[in-house]
Amino acid sequence: MEPVAYVELLNERYRRMGFPPYRWTVHRDAPLTPLAKPLAECRVTALTSGGISHCSAAPWDAVARNDFRLDAIESDTPSDQFQIHDAYYDHQDADRDLNCVFPIDRLRDLARAGVIGEVARKLYSGFMGRIYKRTELLEKHAPAFADELQREQIDLALLVPA
Amino acid sequence: MGLVARVLEERGVPTVLVSTGRDLTQLVRPPRSLFVNAPMGNPFGRPGEVERQREILLDALRLAEADVAAGTLVDHRYDYGQGFRDRVETTLAAMTFQQ
Repeated sequence: MEPVAYVELLNERYRRMGFPPYRWTVHRDAPLTPLAKPLAECRVTALTSGGISHCSAAPWDAVARNDFRLDAIESDTPSDQFQIHDAYYDHQDADRDLNCVFPIDRLRDLARAGVIGEVARKLYSGFMGRIYKRTELLEKHAPAFADELQREQIDLALLVPA
Repeated sequence: MGLVARVLEERGVPTVLVSTGRDLTQLVRPPRSLFVNAPMGNPFGRPGEVERQREILLDALRLAEADVAAGTLVDHRYDYGQGFRDRVETTLAAMTFQQ
């Protein structure tokens, strides 16, 4: 199947709903930080925006907007101890197997196999749902997250939007 | 999430993003992304497909190790296939859901 033309389909849908045209963020270039060491020596973390929380924590607000909550998750947590609350995507498969959207068992597999150096002590769930406050994201919350990853001496971050 | 990736890299943290929205990701242009042609919510495939999940994850991490230009998007060979088309409409409804 051809990749879904989400931009066109969403533009059309919002138009029919009577909303003004959505102003997409468009970038023509990108920053880049090369990996500092081979993958087999890297401390790897992961971030999901899929409304995933540990069962002992509060569930995410499934219809949140501009929610800058960020959970740190102990990386040895069993993958069946999570709940998903997010109205903006279909998580029926991920409800059965978290690894469909947040592959924490597979990260641990790769660490055990020596493919990556180690799974970081903390994984993250946040930046979920609709964030319209882009300036606040870019100037406050994302830099704070970068500082956190620097403190944790993270070599590589896997980011999985949902 | 693409915006978060850009800020992390500006501040010295390498990232790789696994996307299921090819055109959405291309607009934001994160530093490195792997596109998987699957429904939102299934970037690593289907429940219980351990080998597939591991393969997609490994390909994403290897992309971080590869010498690629900033803003590179790589298309993964996996295709979710059966049932995908039926989930596009519910996905769009969810993405535009209003309270």
